[in-house]
Amino acid sequence: MKQIYSSPPPLLRIGALLLALLWLSPPQVYGQRAELASARDSDTRSHTTSSSKKAVDISVSGRVTDAGTNDPLVGCTVVVKGTQRGTNTDASGNYTITVPNESSVLVFGYIGYEKQEVAVGSRSTINISLKTEASNLSQVVVIGYGSTTKKDMTGAVKSLKSTDFNQGIINSPEQLLQGKVAGVNVVSASGEPGANQNISIRGPGGVRTGSTPLFVLDGMALDNSSTGGAINPLNFLNPQDIESIDVLKDASATAIYGSRGANGVILITTKKGKAGVSTFNYNGSLGISNLARALPVFTADEFRKQVTAVGGVLEDRGASTDWQKEITRTAYTQNHNLSFGGGADKLSYYASVGVQKQQGILKNSDLNRYSGRINVTQRFLEDRLTLDVNLNATYTQNQRPPIVSLLGGAISANPTFPAYDDKGEPFQYQGGTNPLIPLKLEKDITTINRVIANISPSFKITKDLVYKLNIGVDNSSSVRDIQLLSNAVPQVDGRLETYHTYNRNTLVENYFTYTLTRSKSNLTALLGHSYQKIFVQGRNTSINKFPLGSIEPIYNPGIGQELTLVNNRPGGFALENELQSFFSRVNYQYNDKYLLTATVRADGSSKFGANNKYGIFPSISAGWRLSEEEFLKSGPFTDLKLRAGWGKTGNQEIPSKITQALFTSQVSSSTSYPLLPTGPYPAGTSYSRLANPDIQWEVSTQTDIGLDFSLFNGALSGTLDYFNKVSNNILLEVIPADPVQPAGTFWTNVPDMTIVNKGVELELNYRYTAANGLRFDLGGNVTFINNLVSNSPYSVIPSGSASGSGLTSATINGYINEQPIGTFFLKEFTGFNDKGINTFRDVDGDGIITDKDRVPMGTALPTRQYNLNTSLAYKGFDLIVNFNGVAGNKVYDNTANANFYKLRLSKGLNTTAEAIAFPDESINNSAPVSSRYLKDGAFFRLNNLSLGYNLNTKALGVDRWISGIRLSATGQNLFVITNYDGYDPEVNTDRTINGISSYGIDYLSYPKARTLVLGLNLTF
Amino acid sequence: MKKKYIAIALSGMLVLNGCTNLMENVLDETSVTGLSDRQAADGIIAPVYALLPNIFQHTNYFALQEISTDEAILPYRGGTDWGDNGIYLAMHTHTNTSTDPNVRNTWNLILQGMSRSITAINTLPTLNDPVAKTYLAEARGMRAYYSMLTLDLYGLIFVKDNLNTNSKILRGEQAVEYIKNELLAVEPNLETNVGPGRLTKGAVWGLLARLHLNAAVYRDRFASSFTFKPEDMDKVIEYTDKIISSGQYQLAKEYFSVFNDNNHDNKELIFAVDQRADLNGHNRMAYFSLSGDQFPLPAFPAANGTDGPGITPDYYQTWVKAYAPQDPSVDPRFHKQNLEIYTNPDATCVAADNFHINRGILRGQQFGLIRKNGAFLKCADGRMLVGPLFNDSRNRPTLPVNFTEKIDFTVAGSDYNTGYRVEKYEFSRKSVSGRNFGEADIIILRLADVYLMRAEAKLRKGGGEASALADVNTVRASRTATTPPPPLSSMSLDLLYRERGFELYWEMVRRTDMIRFGKYEDTWTEKTNTDKQKRVFPIPQTAIDGASNLPGYLQQNAGY
Repeated sequence: MKQIYSSPPPLLRIGALLLALLWLSPPQVYGQRAELASARDSDTRSHTTSSSKKAVDISVSGRVTDAGTNDPLVGCTVVVKGTQRGTNTDASGNYTITVPNESSVLVFGYIGYEKQEVAVGSRSTINISLKTEASNLSQVVVIGYGSTTKKDMTGAVKSLKSTDFNQGIINSPEQLLQGKVAGVNVVSASGEPGANQNISIRGPGGVRTGSTPLFVLDGMALDNSSTGGAINPLNFLNPQDIESIDVLKDASATAIYGSRGANGVILITTKKGKAGVSTFNYNGSLGISNLARALPVFTADEFRKQVTAVGGVLEDRGASTDWQKEITRTAYTQNHNLSFGGGADKLSYYASVGVQKQQGILKNSDLNRYSGRINVTQRFLEDRLTLDVNLNATYTQNQRPPIVSLLGGAISANPTFPAYDDKGEPFQYQGGTNPLIPLKLEKDITTINRVIANISPSFKITKDLVYKLNIGVDNSSSVRDIQLLSNAVPQVDGRLETYHTYNRNTLVENYFTYTLTRSKSNLTALLGHSYQKIFVQGRNTSINKFPLGSIEPIYNPGIGQELTLVNNRPGGFALENELQSFFSRVNYQYNDKYLLTATVRADGSSKFGANNKYGIFPSISAGWRLSEEEFLKSGPFTDLKLRAGWGKTGNQEIPSKITQALFTSQVSSSTSYPLLPTGPYPAGTSYSRLANPDIQWEVSTQTDIGLDFSLFNGALSGTLDYFNKVSNNILLEVIPADPVQPAGTFWTNVPDMTIVNKGVELELNYRYTAANGLRFDLGGNVTFINNLVSNSPYSVIPSGSASGSGLTSATINGYINEQPIGTFFLKEFTGFNDKGINTFRDVDGDGIITDKDRVPMGTALPTRQYNLNTSLAYKGFDLIVNFNGVAGNKVYDNTANANFYKLRLSKGLNTTAEAIAFPDESINNSAPVSSRYLKDGAFFRLNNLSLGYNLNTKALGVDRWISGIRLSATGQNLFVITNYDGYDPEVNTDRTINGISSYGIDYLSYPKARTLVLGLNLTF
Repeated sequence: MKKKYIAIALSGMLVLNGCTNLMENVLDETSVTGLSDRQAADGIIAPVYALLPNIFQHTNYFALQEISTDEAILPYRGGTDWGDNGIYLAMHTHTNTSTDPNVRNTWNLILQGMSRSITAINTLPTLNDPVAKTYLAEARGMRAYYSMLTLDLYGLIFVKDNLNTNSKILRGEQAVEYIKNELLAVEPNLETNVGPGRLTKGAVWGLLARLHLNAAVYRDRFASSFTFKPEDMDKVIEYTDKIISSGQYQLAKEYFSVFNDNNHDNKELIFAVDQRADLNGHNRMAYFSLSGDQFPLPAFPAANGTDGPGITPDYYQTWVKAYAPQDPSVDPRFHKQNLEIYTNPDATCVAADNFHINRGILRGQQFGLIRKNGAFLKCADGRMLVGPLFNDSRNRPTLPVNFTEKIDFTVAGSDYNTGYRVEKYEFSRKSVSGRNFGEADIIILRLADVYLMRAEAKLRKGGGEASALADVNTVRASRTATTPPPPLSSMSLDLLYRERGFELYWEMVRRTDMIRFGKYEDTWTEKTNTDKQKRVFPIPQTAIDGASNLPGYLQQNAGY
């Protein structure tokens, strides 16, 4: 333990410890059976003797096992009923507890198992075997402003516990649930540490950016605005602190979040302490990452041959450089997490500190996160008043290399050039680019401080009526420095840009929950009010021309020598949004068979126009538990429930200020003009935005029909859902009919335009438990989804601007009627003419190829998503394997489009074999944007494989200090089966045009890593 | 008890929340208050002009008026540059579509300028400063000028006085009449001496002359031949006479001085975009035709050309034929040599202050500052080393920057070095970044054009050959800084057209000229399209889409 706390250099020590333990573990494996056998006989005795503090108390000990397998249950809670006294079982399933008297009752509880209560009586040894719960029916599901059980749910909600999460190096909560939830598509923008994750629940319902679900952390609704830098704002959350994630998918579940529910809601609950149960955990891991797949550009020898073969001029400097190797590295990530929790009579708490120091596989790419959390619950006034406090503070530091120039250089630089010169400096060559030079000169560092706190007292006014107040603050500030060092050769003047971002999100909520229980019926009613204010501010400054060889500009910007208004005009923005809401929900249950839920939320937002300040979002859903009916009682069904729901939700993620006209006065190149030969320029007064007082939210109307089932005593369970989500009132920046307008566009809702997401989700889980203790789980989910745009006023809404020389102004995505969002709207490549020049299909038959010959060529949105996971547990071992995949989607390989064609090779730039794939292609052929570079994006990935082993601490003789030791090895991204030949088919380089989202474009995106994580978990 | 708790809780709710009316609080934008009438007037007229530098950019009005003609061609350079989804090839071959971004951007900018004019027209009468009356005339005149641009480019104009109503769309004769009446209405209230950057009486006379000269085209756009009415020609002569006889304007002795950094004070300019290095100026006219390995400013090793358009061989041959057997450079408008090394190979060292690149049409091997590893080479004495240039920045260090006559869309014809280039405007030395911060005024109308318009009107009216010849020779003879071009001995419409090409090349009048002279459907390098419908550009698809909720309001031009 001391070793872990002593700081520098922890990596070596932890690594050494890890390795030592790893070497030790194989003999342990074989020795364990004997140890276990003897432990069973002896553990009760040894514990009874070692623990008795007060003579008046009775000491009870025993062992808790799985009724099916006889395996010990580790961490099972044992509580004296009616008190805060409790403990939990150690790694061998043993516990010891003192009870006040013989009439005490012990309550044994474990997630996934049925609770058992046992009266102590005169016994001093109580061994208990717990039965697994049939299909987790009493599993708690968090639903927003409350919770319910899986059995009583009428909406489409998926609840994931921490044991279900993806393992390995995790930066943000979206990664924890990738592939785990049917209907949820998580696409990482790139392989960069902390990269943005594009998450959509049941498909995008708008064409704009801002189709992200609402995230609610312990009751605090988060704002999706960037907190600065080029990384995911949700990176601040330490995944180890997360207890569960609940994904609300259909409108009947999300309508309680009204105008923010249209894209789904993700509720994150962090870990809480338990009174009477002390836990102290250390979690450490070392990750080793490497480039999963390099682009197969020609090696020096191949390059010599191929450049000559295509008739290019070869400049051969005799070296053999693998440029991709030069810019990448074996990256190490260490993660340390220390948490403890517990509680006494009226107080319980959980606290943790975590450090994750992650190296990216590109050089100079780092993401470090330091986080701390305290969750406290205190009860007062005879337990009528409960006070919950959650406090999370995170410091994130992100350093990014110049990714585009690094990758662009590495895949095209001449491999016969040496990487370094005789002095060890990056080799400087005329006319070409050595990617190591920008690596040396450019730096992009962001530091973010984010603190989230909420305090929520709840007061039991009567037995049935509870009032709860929730006050939360989410405050973050960040600084991003983009530094360019000055340099003599090549000549660079140096520049420093600094961006400050401030985000402040405050929330006040009041709500009453009333519960009425009668013999056959149950009613829960919720009534509340919420007020939220979000403030975002950004400021930037810059300075140019730094002296050569001076200190780094970030440490003293004052040494810059040039400030001009055009190059260094400070910039900034600030916006403030307010939301006021009234909400209500009624759950009614009759005879445990018939369930009804109705919600309504009235949301007012300062983003909405004066004529539409408030929107009403209702929903209703019902459930029928068929398995409770007499006619099905004798069937194979442990549970069978039919659900149906309907509701309306909104999306208010529209730009600020668009309801108001803007009439500004400023001296700028586009508003001012010299009126006199000399003297200051007048501040030009101009409209830059048209008012639209009618603007409102996008409306999404969703119907969901679902079936939850569980057969053969829970061995096979699953969920089947059909959904139809129709979004209309689509927010678009449109062009007025009369083009003579102060601003070329204005924001409006297009009422007739619809975006429909329709699909079917199926989840299946099979559980098998053998008599010899082997447990085997096989699960999976599959989603079929179709997206369609209709009645758009535009013939095409372009997005996805192409990158690369010669490709300016070309667009890749285009949204047109009767096609899905993410459609690729391209010229159809048909081959080459007799001169070896590209030919395209002349769709309109006018004899020339123009933009009018573009056709929809498929979409970037998968029509099928699937996941397969299996786990195997035997004795102390457990193995989890998790595959995920998508199909029906395409990826536009803009990287290849801009880099891999014959003409480039003939100019002495490196390419892959893709450039010479067509022998007929002329070396003079350009490569415009077309279906030539549109590729199949389907993939199947072994996302996660984790092997764990729980050591027997008693056999090691350390059980007095350490109650559990767990070793694990996790592989992330172990293989991908795909036809796509870029770095990775899961990619989404942001090429948004005017706020219209782009999809499925790959342009020099940070490559994905393959990672091995070795983990150590110690419980004290 | 219960009620008490509820009351406490409810009052707590109110205390904590107060009440919000959810009115959006705008923090980062200022709306204008507290201005004096003079400040308000200045502030409302400035934006009317402020988009001109943008409109007159290489990719906007220049591309539409020049790359569509025989004066400029922009191939897909080396297969890597200026590909731009084929828009420059389409512009040159008259196959552009309604999605062309340059056609769209030009449209948007002009119409935004027009809407700012309307805002000013509505605001200025409420201001009591005496200057408001002049500004009102300028705003209304600029609205007419913007209408002239949309009529010429897109074949229609938008008429409205109130920003909150939908414009009336006019075409043909009605459009010409509207513009004419507007210009006539404002002329009395305009100043004479606030040019060339602002609209003056002289500028309006010039615009009226230009309107009448092209009226035949605007009235019957797709005619197989245009009928130039004598009364129109009389008006052209009347307004050009007014300008010439005002004595306010003067032909420059040195042709390229008209395009120098300091041309704001050049008396040849009548109406121009007033660029200032510290406000709105750009150097795009100067840099975009140059080679990527030509560096015009010793202080800026990053300020290079872009290998943009060159002139077509057809256009070049008009010079050759006119001066054969002499080289066209005998005409000082064709070329001006500023670097001695071109004629004296020993002049390899030039003081930085004296380094100026050649002007006019650039041919053959280019010499200039040599950039190696990002810095310019220098002579031992610290002066700048000049020498022959190679395409180093293109990773083609063995390919000389040797401009060839041949330029077309073939592989050989679209290499980085093809085509003779144009360096008419000076590259601003006040620039602090090299490419931005231009200060030369971009000319909309100058006196030489006025003389040539008068000559053309006399010719079209009939019987005015001698007088027209005199006008043309007046312009020729005025360039006395060096040997002026020899006078012509006869005059005809074809010769006048040729002369306009020599005098006004790359000044964004070529397309209009070609249409008026019936040459726009001719064949030239890479251009064979003879479709008369291409005399106007398509209305941008975005505008058509935007108007789709008002059926019949905005019709796409025929042929698109």
